[in-house]
Amino acid sequence: MNPATNLIDTVTAILLITNLMLLGSGYLTSCIRYAALQGLAVGLLPLLLHAQGSWGRAAALAAAGMILKGVVFPIVLTRILRDINVRREVEPFVGYGTSVMAGVGMLAFSMWLTRRLSLSAVPESALIMPAGFATVLIGLFLIVSRRKAVTQVLGYIVMENGIYAFGTALAGGVPLLVELGVLLDAFVAVFIMSIAIYHISREFDHIDVDQLDRLQG
Amino acid sequence: MNADGLLWMTLALPAACAAACLALRDPGTVLTFVRLAGAAAAAYLGLVACVVFKTGVLSGAGDWLVLDALSAFHALVLSWVFGASSVYAGSYFGAELREGSLNARDIRRFGALWFGAMASMTATLVCGNLGLMWVSMEATTLLTAFLICIHVRPLSLEAMWKYLIVCSVGVAFAFMGTLLVGSAAQRLSLGSMDMLLWSRLRPAAAGLDPATMKLAFIFILVGYGTKAGLAPMHSWLPDAHSQAPAPVSALFSGFMLSAGMYCILRFIPLTEAALGGAGWSLRLLAGMGTLSILVAAVFIAFQQDAKRLLAFSSVEHIGVIALGFGLGGVGTFAALWHTLNHAAAKTLAFHSAGALGQGRGTNSLKAFAGSLRAASPWGQGLFWGLLVLIGVAPFAVFMSELMVLKAAADAGAYWTLALFLLGTGIIFVGVLRHAVDAAWGEPPAMPSAARPEPHPEVPGVTQRLLVWAPLALLLLLGVWLPDWLGTAIARAAEVVGGAR
Repeated sequence: MNPATNLIDTVTAILLITNLMLLGSGYLTSCIRYAALQGLAVGLLPLLLHAQGSWGRAAALAAAGMILKGVVFPIVLTRILRDINVRREVEPFVGYGTSVMAGVGMLAFSMWLTRRLSLSAVPESALIMPAGFATVLIGLFLIVSRRKAVTQVLGYIVMENGIYAFGTALAGGVPLLVELGVLLDAFVAVFIMSIAIYHISREFDHIDVDQLDRLQG
Repeated sequence: MNADGLLWMTLALPAACAAACLALRDPGTVLTFVRLAGAAAAAYLGLVACVVFKTGVLSGAGDWLVLDALSAFHALVLSWVFGASSVYAGSYFGAELREGSLNARDIRRFGALWFGAMASMTATLVCGNLGLMWVSMEATTLLTAFLICIHVRPLSLEAMWKYLIVCSVGVAFAFMGTLLVGSAAQRLSLGSMDMLLWSRLRPAAAGLDPATMKLAFIFILVGYGTKAGLAPMHSWLPDAHSQAPAPVSALFSGFMLSAGMYCILRFIPLTEAALGGAGWSLRLLAGMGTLSILVAAVFIAFQQDAKRLLAFSSVEHIGVIALGFGLGGVGTFAALWHTLNHAAAKTLAFHSAGALGQGRGTNSLKAFAGSLRAASPWGQGLFWGLLVLIGVAPFAVFMSELMVLKAAADAGAYWTLALFLLGTGIIFVGVLRHAVDAAWGEPPAMPSAARPEPHPEVPGVTQRLLVWAPLALLLLLGVWLPDWLGTAIARAAEVVGGAR
């Protein structure tokens, strides 16, 4: 087994472990750290899978991705937590233990789905694609199963990480301009969501999204 | 000017206007600028679209910027909606500025985001690369989010948060779909730069991997369908439409939903070619369209709020459009035509409801009672707008819905036809009741805060033009579809290739 493959498998493992830790933790500061670690790991992927493209493209992409997900997002989110004075997720709709089990189930589902579809993945590791797909599902799960708006933003970031891993693992790769555009969108999205959370906490004195229910019918 | 220049200008013009709005100091000047520059930018986009109708596809930057018949037709719709709403926004926010509910900073922010939204929506249409099309679509979500809560209030924040999360997550699925299309294109051995270029994929689409394309289309349909407001992904729509200021609601309903649909349309010929033209993707789309019509019918009957009523009517009409595309054949033509008709009618209805609501301080339908008696033309606008929207003959909306019906009959889809009639029938009765009450009902006792004349300063001509021009257009299109427009729509329908 060559070293690159080894590294890729390590990245995949980090991706999966951080997913489960996110599902199992209610402390928002820890969750932000796990998501940042996940972002850093995913950001490495273009460098490890650079076989299709040039080094320059891979390096630019990895740098942009890692700075954004490993540095900028955690700073923005930690700031917001400090401003609104919220520490942890209280009474999620689905308990932490159940969430972790659900996460394992989603991973199994992704394995089954990607195997059935025989998508043309890069040959180095067959695991990245199902792991990426599972990350997308887990991000979605975080968004629908937690109460705090901050966790929803984290869920969005996790989804974004999953899509990023999935996209990098697809053989061929997307043009650099598109990748950068996607990263820019993710950045602006998280930025805008943070501003929105700030306003929500000021108007409502809480950031529990399940209580945002006055508009109905 | 060459094609490159023409296309770049469609993006640069609104972007420059957005920057100008931030630079201008006086809020009154910003509003005048929004009115004039908005109309100018819209007119320019409309002109470029007409160039495409006249001379054929414009393409620049190595096919990364393309305006073909389909996108040009949608650009024409955008041009109408954005132009009318910009002019309207000038007076709408002018009233709020005088009243003091908005300050200079809010107005500048509105102007910048308004033109930014225009730039990103135009980018959705002119980007020939499916990946960049997605980037622009996500940008429309991000740029318009704060337009919903120009007035920072609990309800508008709630609507904005739902919009932001639901649409961002939904559209993220569309990106998965786009990536899968790239994966399906592996066998075509296109270069990395060409991989997601629609103009390269289209001729070679028969070689795309069918199983991957099926999965991709499901992701695309769910993703962009969220943005288009198709049921059951429409949960954000009534909240966002009812809480946003009226010009923004008009832009959302008149164009942004159609932009979501446009993105789905780009993938239909690819999927169909890959699957051998069996109509699989069209059936999915038709099913969702029918469901949207029925869901809207259920909710519309109980609405108390004028703008929520209009929002559910948008779910209905996007359903009609999806159904038309799904039926194929003459339905594709009908759906495109309906896109234009709905945009014109819904823009008018939202403008009218907004102006009436502003004067009364509420959007409750009860408060609108007797609005036909008021001096301003907005009561007329709302009344006629609602009539047009529920499909009263001989307005154009009726004609295009009739054509969708014909397409259903042609395709032998009698169940669909029956459900379509049931849904539109319920909506017809439900909305007619509201429209009649609003027009001739007994006006409620005016609360002391209400201002009888919401727009005293607006030149009456502008006001009347905003009401009667769309009605005249809809009547005209209903009785006589000009040749050039018919040809333009037919060409756009060819791009979708709806024939089954």
